Formats: sequence, C-alpha cells, structure tokens
Amino acid sequence: MTHTQDKSSALGQGVLIFIYLTVLTALEYFIAVTFQAVTILIVVAVIKAALVMYYYMHIYKLNETSDDDDVHSYAYKTGTNRLGLWLFLLSDTFVFAGLMATRINLLGFTRPPLNQMLGLAVTAVLLLSSFFMNRGETSMAHGDTKGFLNNVVVTFVLGLGFLIGVVFVEWRLAAHEGLVASFGDTVHGPMGGVFYIMTGMHAFHVLTGLIFLFVVWNNARKNIYSAEKHWGVEAAAVYWHFVDLVWIFFYPALYLIGKLIA
Amino acid sequence: MKKFFSTALVRGLFWQLIGTLVGAGLVTGIRMMMGLSATDKFFFTEPAWVLGGFFGVLFFLAGNGSVTDWFKWARGVDTPEHHEEKFSGWEKYLNVSLDHKVIGVQYTVTALLLICLGGLFALIFRTELAQSQLQFLKVDMQLFGQNGPELYNTLMSLHGMVMIVSILLGIAGIINYVVPLLLGAQDMAFPRLNAFSYWIAVPAAVLLVMSLIFGGFGTGWTGYPPLSSRAPVGVQMFFLGVFTAGWSSILGALNVIVTVVRMRSKGMVAMRMPIFVWASVATSIIALTATQLIGLSFQLVMFQRLFGMGFFDPAKGGNPVLFQHLFWFYSHPAVYVFVLPGLGVISELLPVFARKPLFGYRWVAMSSLGIALVGFLVWAHHMFTSGMNEYLRVPFMYSTLLVAVPTGVKFFSWVATIWKGKLTYPTPMLFVLGGLVSFLLGGLTGPPNATVSVDLHLHDTYFIVGHFHDTIFGGFLFPFFGALYYWFPKATGRRMNEFWGKVHFWLMTPSFFILTLGMMQVGLLGMRRRIVDYDPALGFDSTHLVLTIVGYLIGLSVLIFVINFFHSIKNGEKAEGNVWNSRSPEWQVPSPMPTHNYDQPFEVVGEPYDYGLEGSQYVKFAEPAKSNTKHK
Amino acid sequence: MRHFVIVGILVVVMAVLTYFGLVVAGVATQMHPIEASLQSVSIDWLWHWEIMAISFLFSLIIVPMVYSMVVFRRKKGDTTDAEHIEGNTTLEITWTVIPLIVVLILAYMGAYSLGQTRRVDPNAIVIKVKAQQFTWTFEYPNTGIISEELHLPVNQQVVLQMESTDVIHSFWVPEFRVKQDVVPGRVTEYRITPTLVGTYKVRCAELCGMSHYAMESLVIVDAQADYTTWIDQQSKAAFEASQSPEGLGKLLIVQNGCIGCHSTDGLKMAGPTWFELYGSAVLLADGSTVTADDAYLRDSILNPKAQMVDGFPPIMPAFDKLSDSDIANIIAYLKTLK
Ligand code: HEA
Ligand code: HEA
Ligand code: HEC
Ligand code: CUA
Ligand SMILES: [Cu+2]
Repeated sequence: MTHTQDKSSALGQGVLIFIYLTVLTALEYFIAVTFQAVTILIVVAVIKAALVMYYYMHIYKLNETSDDDDVHSYAYKTGTNRLGLWLFLLSDTFVFAGLMATRINLLGFTRPPLNQMLGLAVTAVLLLSSFFMNRGETSMAHGDTKGFLNNVVVTFVLGLGFLIGVVFVEWRLAAHEGLVASFGDTVHGPMGGVFYIMTGMHAFHVLTGLIFLFVVWNNARKNIYSAEKHWGVEAAAVYWHFVDLVWIFFYPALYLIGKLIA
Repeated sequence: MKKFFSTALVRGLFWQLIGTLVGAGLVTGIRMMMGLSATDKFFFTEPAWVLGGFFGVLFFLAGNGSVTDWFKWARGVDTPEHHEEKFSGWEKYLNVSLDHKVIGVQYTVTALLLICLGGLFALIFRTELAQSQLQFLKVDMQLFGQNGPELYNTLMSLHGMVMIVSILLGIAGIINYVVPLLLGAQDMAFPRLNAFSYWIAVPAAVLLVMSLIFGGFGTGWTGYPPLSSRAPVGVQMFFLGVFTAGWSSILGALNVIVTVVRMRSKGMVAMRMPIFVWASVATSIIALTATQLIGLSFQLVMFQRLFGMGFFDPAKGGNPVLFQHLFWFYSHPAVYVFVLPGLGVISELLPVFARKPLFGYRWVAMSSLGIALVGFLVWAHHMFTSGMNEYLRVPFMYSTLLVAVPTGVKFFSWVATIWKGKLTYPTPMLFVLGGLVSFLLGGLTGPPNATVSVDLHLHDTYFIVGHFHDTIFGGFLFPFFGALYYWFPKATGRRMNEFWGKVHFWLMTPSFFILTLGMMQVGLLGMRRRIVDYDPALGFDSTHLVLTIVGYLIGLSVLIFVINFFHSIKNGEKAEGNVWNSRSPEWQVPSPMPTHNYDQPFEVVGEPYDYGLEGSQYVKFAEPAKSNTKHK
Repeated sequence: MRHFVIVGILVVVMAVLTYFGLVVAGVATQMHPIEASLQSVSIDWLWHWEIMAISFLFSLIIVPMVYSMVVFRRKKGDTTDAEHIEGNTTLEITWTVIPLIVVLILAYMGAYSLGQTRRVDPNAIVIKVKAQQFTWTFEYPNTGIISEELHLPVNQQVVLQMESTDVIHSFWVPEFRVKQDVVPGRVTEYRITPTLVGTYKVRCAELCGMSHYAMESLVIVDAQADYTTWIDQQSKAAFEASQSPEGLGKLLIVQNGCIGCHSTDGLKMAGPTWFELYGSAVLLADGSTVTADDAYLRDSILNPKAQMVDGFPPIMPAFDKLSDSDIANIIAYLKTLK
C-alpha cells in the first residue's frame, strides 16, 4: 500500500473524513438526547478515534521503512522521531485513561449539569480545527508554505476558541449551575472535581498544542520547512490531532453518558 | 573551587532556589492581594510552596542548560547533533553532556548517593527499633516540626521512596551506559532528551529531601489518602518529587525503546540482541506507560489538598480505595521495573563466567516480556484487605500466581546455564550468584502473599517487608553491584579492587540474609510494619537488635564499596583489554570507551552467547579493529 | 547421569532439611501466634502447604546451583570454554508446565481456603466497631454498652461492622490471623469465630498517623457464661452511668475516642492529660496562660485550633457535632479527674 497522494486527492480525503466525523458526532448527540445507549456511544467514539488516528495522524507511517539506510539521513531520523512521538502519546494516553477510570468510578451513570449547546459547539470547533490542521500539514507536505501558514492560523484561532469556550465560558456556566470543585458542594459530591480535572487536564494539553502551533508557524515564516523536511510540522499536527482524539472520548464521558442528578 | 561553582549542577541548584522563591512569592503576592493569609507554619503557605516547588524544577532545568538546544530549535536555530565535549575529568560529569556514557555514569553515581542517603535514614530508624520503647524518637522531641514518632514515620517513608528513586536511577544508569554499546549505536536515539531525563531527576531528589524539613509526611511511600490529605506541607514536596522523578523515568524509557527499535547495528535481529537489551525493553514498556498513573494519583491528592476537590474524600462522596487502584496500577508493575534489568544482568553475566551459552535464550527473552505483561494485571494483590469488592480478590490472586511461571523459567534456565559450565568467581560473578539466591527467596515468598487468605495474616507485617527487601536486593541491588564491578573497567580502563570487592560481598550477603529472614520471622509472629515502637510483651527485642546490627553491617559494606569505587577510578589496576574474556561487542575494543563509541561499525554475524563453539563470532567489525581479544 | 542422581538425592535431602528447619524455627506448621479462631485453621493449613512447596522449590534451584558451583568450577590452568549447549525445548516446556500446574493447585487451594474464612453463620453476633486516630471503640447494639475493650464469646461467630471517622485503619488480631481495613465512608465487615479463651490485642495494621504504633486495644475471648455476665454487668453499668452527668460524660469520652489521645492519669499522650486539668492554669502556644474553666474547655473541644496548648501539634479534630448538654456532661466528667 502506498500513501503518497497528489495534493487535491489528499484534500478530498481530508474533507471526507471531516464529514464522517461531523456526522458521527451529530449521531452521538442524537443518541444521547433520545435514548441512553452507552454501548453505541462507545462504539461511535472508537470509530471516530480510528478515523482520526489513521487519516489525520497517519499511524501507518510508523511502519514505513525509508529507502535511505543511512542512520544520519533526515528521513531515517524522522522515522525515529515519529516513533518517539507516538510512544509519548501512548504514555500520555494513560493519564487520560486514568482520569476516565476516575470518572467512571466516582460518577458512574451520572453526569454533571453542563450546557449541551456549548458542549456541541466547542466539540465542533475542535473538530474543525483538526480539519484545518490536516489541510495545513498536507500543504506543507507539498511544499506550500503559504498555504500552511494560512491554515495554521485558522487552526490556532479555532483552538483558542475551544480553550476560551471551555475555560472561560463552560467553567463559569458550570460554576453557576452550582458545580464547584471545592469545599461545600454537597449536592454534586466529587462531580465538580472530576469535571474540572478532566477538562483542565485536556485544556492544558490544548494550551501546549497552541504553543507548539505557534512555534511551527513562526518557523515556517522563516522558511525552514520544505516538502521533504518538515518533521516539526508533522509533529505539531499529530499532537494536535491527539488532543482532538482525547476530546472524542471526553465529550461523551462528560456531556452525553449518564443521568443528570437534580 | 571556582570551576565547581560554575558547573551545571550548582547552577541548576542555585536556580532551583530562585525558582522556588519566585513561585512561592508569586502565590503569596496574589494571596495578599486577595486578602488571604500570607504566611503559615513553614513561612509560606501550602499553595505557595507547591508552586514554588514546581517553579524550582523548571528554573533548575532552564538554569543548568539542559533545555537550551530545544529553545534554539523552537526559534528555528539548528544545532549540531553532538556538541564538542567542553569539559574533561570530573567536570564532565557535573555539566550537561549529551554522551550516553557520561549520562550513564551521572545516573549511577546519583543512584549510589541516594542509596547511601536512604540507607542512612534506614540506619537511623533501625537504631530506634533496636529495642522496644521509645529511645530517642520520643514524643516530646521536636525536629522539623515533627515529634519523634512522626519523624520516624517520615524517615521510614522517605527511606522507601528515596530507595525506589535510587533504583530507577540505578537501572537507568546501567541501561544508558550499556545498551547503546551492546547495540553498536553511537548514542541513544535522543541525546538531549536523555540529558533532560537525567537532570530532571536531580531537582526531584532535592524535592524529596525537602519534604523532610517541611513537616515531613509520614504516610509511608504509598501516600494513601485520607492520611496524606491531612499530612503536613511536606507531603506536597513528596508528591512533587515523585511526580518529577516519574517524568525522568517515562522519558528515559521512551528513549530506550526507540533506541532499541531504531539504532541496532546491522544483522542484529531481535533474537540476536544481547539478553540485557530484552530486559531493558521490557522494563521500559512498563515505565513508559504505568508511571503516568502514580503521577496522576499523587496529582489528584495534591489537587484535593489545594482546591478541595474531593476525589478521595468520603465526606464529599469520594472514594479512598480508588486511590489505591490508581496507585498500585503503577506501583506493582514498578517492582518489575526494578528487577527486570537486574535479572537481565544476571542472564547477561552468567554465560560469561560459566563459559557456556545462555540456556534457552528465546525463553529467557520472552519471559521478560511475559513478566512485564502479566505484571499489569495483578495490582490489586496489595489491596486484599482494603475493603474493595470482595469478588475481585480471587481473579487477582490467580493472575499474581501466574507471574511465578515466567520467573521460574528464568531460574531454571540460569541453573541450566551454569550446569556443566567452567565457573570462575570474580566479584561480579559473586554478586550475580548472591542476587540469584536472594531473589529466589524473595520470589518464593511472593505466592504466599498472593493467596488471599494467607495474605490476610501477612499483609502489612514485617513478612512483607522481608519479602520485598529480598526481591529488591536480589533483583536490583546485588545485580547492580555486579554490573558496576563488571563494567567499571569499560568505563574507566581500571579495575575495582578485588580484595575489597570480596570483603564487600562477604560482609553484605550474610548480613542481608539475616536481615530479611529475621524480618520475615518477626512478621509472622505479629510484628506490624511502619511502627516506631512494638509491644515488649511480644518478645521481639533480641531479634530486632540483631536486625539493627546487621543493618549497620550492610551499611558498612556499602561504605566499603563506595570507597573502593571512587578510589579505583584513579588508582585501580589498569585493565584496558577484554578483562572478562566476553563475546559482547563492547569488550572487543579497548577501554575506556572512546567518546563516539566504536570507530568502525560492526555487523552481527552469530549468536551472542556461543561460548564453547569453535570458530563462532558474535560481531564482526567493518575494518579489522585493533582487536585485543584472547578469545575468538 | 551420575550428576543428576546425586543432585536429585541432595534436592530431596535439602528440601526435607529446610522444611524441618522451618518447623523448628516455629514458622512452618502454623504462623506462630497461637491459633485462636476457626478461620485461622484453614489459613494455617494453606500456609503449611506453601512452606512445603517453598522448601522444595528452594532446594530445587539452590542444590543444582551450589553443586555446579563446586563441582563444575574451573580447574586450575584450564582456559577452554565449557561444552556448547544452547538449550533444550523439552526441558523448557517441562519447567514451564510443571510450575504452571503447581500454580493451578495453589490457586485452587487459595480459593478454597478463602472460602473457608468467609463462611457465614446467620446467627452471628453483631458488634459495631469504630476506629479513629488512635482508638478502637466497641458498641454492642441493644445493650447500651460502649466499651474500650472487645469481649467476645468463645465458639460463636461474631461479625464486626467497622467504621472509621478519619483515616484508614486496619483491624488485626494476630491470633485470629484475619485482617480487615477500616475505611472512612463505608462499613467493612470482619467475621471471626474465636475458639480459644484468652486475652489478645487488636493491633491497628494500617499506618494511620503519629500514634499508629500505639493503636492497640484488648480483645478478650470469654467462656460463654463469663461473656453473658460481662454483658449484664456492663449494660447495668451503662444504664447507671446514664443517670448522672459525669457518667454520661465518661460514656461520651469513650464513644468519641478521646482517650486515644488523652489520658486520665497524668500520662502524656498525643494530647495533654486531663488529670487535674480542670481549674488549672494552661500554658498556650502563643505564650499566654488561661485557666481551664468551663468556657475554655468547651472552646477546646469545639474549636481546638483556636487556643493551642503549648507543645502539642494541631491534630485534635473539632468535635462540633457534640451538643451543649454533651459538652456539659464531658466537663462534668473532667471535673472528677483529680
Ligand atoms: C523488586 C520487587 C518485587 C518483586 C520482583 C516482587 C515479586 C512478587 N511479589 Fe512482591 N512486593 C514488593 C516487591 C516485589 N515483589 C514490594 C515492594 C511490596 C510491598 C509494597 C508495600 O506495600 O510497600 C510487595 C508486596 C507484595 C504483595 C502484597 C502483600 C501485602 O501487602 O499484603 C504481594 C501479594 O500478592 C506480592 C506478591 C509477589 C509475587 C507473587 C511476586 C512474583 O513476581 C514472584 C515470582 C518468583 C518466584 C515465584 C520465584 C521463582 C519461581 C520458581 C522457582 C518457579 C516455581 C515456583 C512456583 C510454582 C511458585 N508482593
Ligand atoms: C532499594 C530499596 C531498599 C533498600 C536497599 C533498603 C535497605 C534497607 N532497609 Fe528498607 N525499605 C524499602 C526499600 C529498601 N530498603 C522500602 C520500599 C520500604 C517500605 C517503606 C514504607 O513502608 O513506606 C522499606 C522499609 C524498611 C523497613 C520497615 C520500616 C517500617 O515498616 O517501619 C525496615 C526496617 O527494618 C528497613 C530496613 C532496611 C535496612 C536496614 C536496609 C539496609 O540495607 C540499609 C543499608 C545501609 C546503607 C546502604 C547505607 C550505607 C551508607 C552509609 C553507611 C553512609 C555513608 C554516607 C555517605 C557516603 C553520605 N526498610
Ligand atoms: C487526635 C487526637 C485527639 C483526640 C481524638 C482528641 N483530642 Fe483533645 N487534644 C488533642 C491535642 C493534641 C490537644 C492539645 C492541642 C490543642 O489545644 O488543640 C488537645 C487538647 C484538648 C483539650 C485542652 C486540654 C488542655 O490541657 O488545655 C481538651 C479539653 C480536649 N482536648 C478535649 C478533648 C475531647 C473531649 C475529645 C473527644 C471528644 C478530644 N479532646 C479528642 C488531641 C486530641
Ligand atoms: Cu489506626 Cu494505624
Ligand atoms: Cu505487587
């Protein structure tokens, strides 16, 4: 199987995956509001995750052998770096899995009182940002620095929008609903804590992702990337999609699964 | 002297201090603006110290220069893959170096220092335990804001955690030094990350020790809430320290795996890798993934203390047992992180000193992976009495017992390796054999703990303490010493003194067996863990006195080792050739190893352990390297 | 072949010797503290088998190892390598499968033994246990008895329903073998059938803070008749005590676990003694002195951090759930301690 494509078919693929993801997200939401089918929600999330991992994060590239056997070549080193990055992400997954386990243990089939529309909105924003990131990376892979810069700016703005949506809007609304992390919340028990730590930890990753985006954007402006040499861009993109991947699971866990408690 | 004060180590520590003050000052400033109290028992308030501790680590790393290159990259400035080594002699080791051999030594020496520190703590509290009743850790004493029993608890807990961190650094030291050499690589895959992983462990160690002076923590190394959510500020420093050390472990492990996957020399297929490499990979898989969970569990308690998030607070609907699950999900697999490299050392050295191939190479290699994988499924055997769901105890008993099978494979293969060998007993071999016996004792006391009903009696007694000192000494400390004696000539071109090496061994080994067997005995008779004083009616006084004495003897033997180690660097007998007559690639070139390792790349043309096979070769150098092997 | 025979014999000899060594050391047939409960029988049974297995497996490894070390050591002047033996698949499979079988047997025995210790007697007596830093309190339902020591009738299953008010503790009577953590926020259950009349101690087995080492209470297994007498006496005493404020105060003291930190006879524990406290001058941590009158004592109980006694850590929890009359009763009791 070869994965080299011309630019327009790569774009077409990006659009297609984005549409799949959008439809699945809408389906998720619909399932959650009409009937609680946890298993289906999990299956949908796993499908979404697989799409992102394969098409946006190109997990298959791990398996690519470079024609160049010289360990000092850029291509070989990129392969090494790629493995390093994926292992880092694997490690990071365990944090989020641990948080998920905490959520399941402490909250079970209940969920925090959150604003559904806002949840859907931030999720959409993050999905869209992944789409633009993918376009940006594709541009770079075809040597189009200008296209990359534009797309990264859009990604960055969307990412920032997500961060603001969660930290400055959702957190306030939740607090307004009586969901507080700290002392004296006897209604929700540990729910506040779980909600803030999960979204907080994710937001922290979004923040580092944004910094990463800024760095590659800044470097791209100095024209240091090319179609052959742009590992920095690929890393930023894979990391950004990973942040999206986490949200694919956190969104249903916080917004969709379980009953609201009065 | 001036040189010393400008080393990266001292600069880092200086910046850590500044960072701590900046972080603490920042929070204090904000608190003052919000009209909250600015000071507390330990001068700053708890949130101030936490941010201070965190900033301290960041400042350390920024200040000592281990992240400089990354900042350059972020600005789009390229740097050479390796820097010219600017320093020589001891200075090299106190400054940031990207050379895996230097980093390996840095790790190892730091680990030795921590072993001494942890051992010193042990000797202090062992002295108190020598007799029943409180002798010097009395209720009415006060030190660092703690009275005697509280200080005991802190010292005991710190002993545990400092020792565990020293193990993590110790194995990282050996792996770092040896694995690239065994693979024929010039360095680790990510030299900067490698340096970073080492240097982040230094502020971590500082934080751990800081916990002692900030009121201590006295929760045991396990830090269970709700006790840890009520402990003094020291517990936050402890959490931060472990958290930071955890990053060292995670990133180091990542580097090892990538190195092994990507940097093997030509012809080194998986089944021709030296066995120690297999062990390193198995260890690294655990360290890479599971470590996150101890970080997370401690972080959750930290946040619970800072922001009142009630994860583990039953009054807020939290669940204290959840913490134990998260904690042990790391901390059980972690014990295999401790031992797998040690068992790898045993498997690596036995063939050399028995002059016979490693028996059943494939099985030994696979058993490391087997132990690592099954190790992920057994964590709740530490929680049989915890009040978790009762029916969970049975599957965890089964999975725990299962670990005995791959471990057994190793033991039987080892015995078959030395069977009909031609054995010699220089110091490294002695430590390997000592390790084998004590790990066997420790391992065999594992299954009784795993059978739930017996564990209901054994849990939290000195039997468990005996069990794990046996496994840790046998799986880590003995092989670690063995590895140091063995690879010392490679690193320095000199040998450690054999006579003092043997004194070290013959002093340490019997003392150690008395120590752990004595622990198990009193444990069975009803001695609980983690107590500063025991009921004189139990009649343990004389046993405990013996335990204390042998504790001191072990300390003495370690002291002898340390002196021998540092003395031999300059004064040891010269040994630049293939001292042990090994087939391993690193011994085919003269010692000490040149900066960029092998001058010529080598190709693997045979099996690693074909001792006794006429005309066989493991590696072939591209051009005839100056070979000084007696053995072909 | 000769080697194998010798080693085989030595393994057996060594295994037997190890086993008897452990018997003599007193750790093999039972775990030394006398067996005082029905549950300990099946635990010690399993332990005994495990000791035998350990003796054998230990010898199985050690004997061939030491034998090789001695017999196969390098002879002087020999510089050749040993025979080239790479491995043997049959052997490898054998020593994978045989331990696996041992493990399966152990697993079965482990589950069986656990089942035995969890046997439920529907007529078990229920006693409530409260653990707190650093005391045990035992409450006998329907009798009004709140006691500092645990009395149990012999040969009768009891079930302890245990709760903790602060951190995790663990209930362990070594002679009963079984151990169970006491976790705040939930009730854990400890089921035991004492079989031997005698006096034992419950020793807290989970690190719970400064005085964890001292968190011990008496456990007394009585003959059935003595037990009934004790219950009668105690419930009568409890009834009488409830008639006077001091008596009620004393009950409250026990019930709330104050005696874990305070002595009534002048001994210094985690907290200051109450002996001759009332009316005395107390030196506070800030250097001032107050008289221990009703108001001060009340304040010390409801809000202990407000006025810290010199030389003590701030570990006393605020007992703000106590009512005014409770506090008055406690103070009445404190007055009697002269
Ligand atoms: C280096 C570390 C190390 C290692 C390798 C092990 C190895 C094992 N450990 Fe240990 N353990 C610890 C370190 C380690 N442990 C520590 C630190 C604690 C205490 C933590 C704390 O609370 O502070 C602990 C506690 C601990 C407990 C909890 C006890 C309690 O608190 O109640 C249990 C229970 O199951 C256990 C079991 C085992 C088992 C079954 C193995 C097995 O892996 C052993 C396998 C090996 C063998 C069995 C020997 C060789 C095999 C053969 C010769 C084959 C034939 C054998 C059979 C068929 C049985 N350990
Ligand atoms: C690597 C791991 C390791 C090592 C090597 C040791 C080594 C020793 N341990 Fe260890 N121990 C643990 C890991 C380890 N321990 C852990 C994890 C715990 C559990 C903690 C908990 O419950 O939370 C524990 C608990 C523990 C207890 C139980 C405490 C309790 O429950 O109350 C005891 C009691 O005797 C003990 C004793 C000893 C002794 C006497 C040594 C001796 O071998 C020490 C020998 C001494 C030295 C090695 C020092 C040599 C140095 C010098 C003499 C000074 C020279 C000075 C300079 C150069 C500066 N340890
Ligand atoms: C965890 C240990 C602990 C427990 C349990 C405890 N106390 Fe205390 N108590 C202390 C300590 C320590 C002090 C001294 C420091 C202070 O003033 O808070 C103290 C101080 C006091 C004082 C002031 C004594 C003096 O000398 O001035 C009184 C009165 C008192 N406690 C009553 C009680 C009562 C009543 C209870 C139970 C309902 C109780 N305590 C339970 C630890 C404890
Ligand atoms: Cu209660 Cu230890
Ligand atoms: Cu374990």
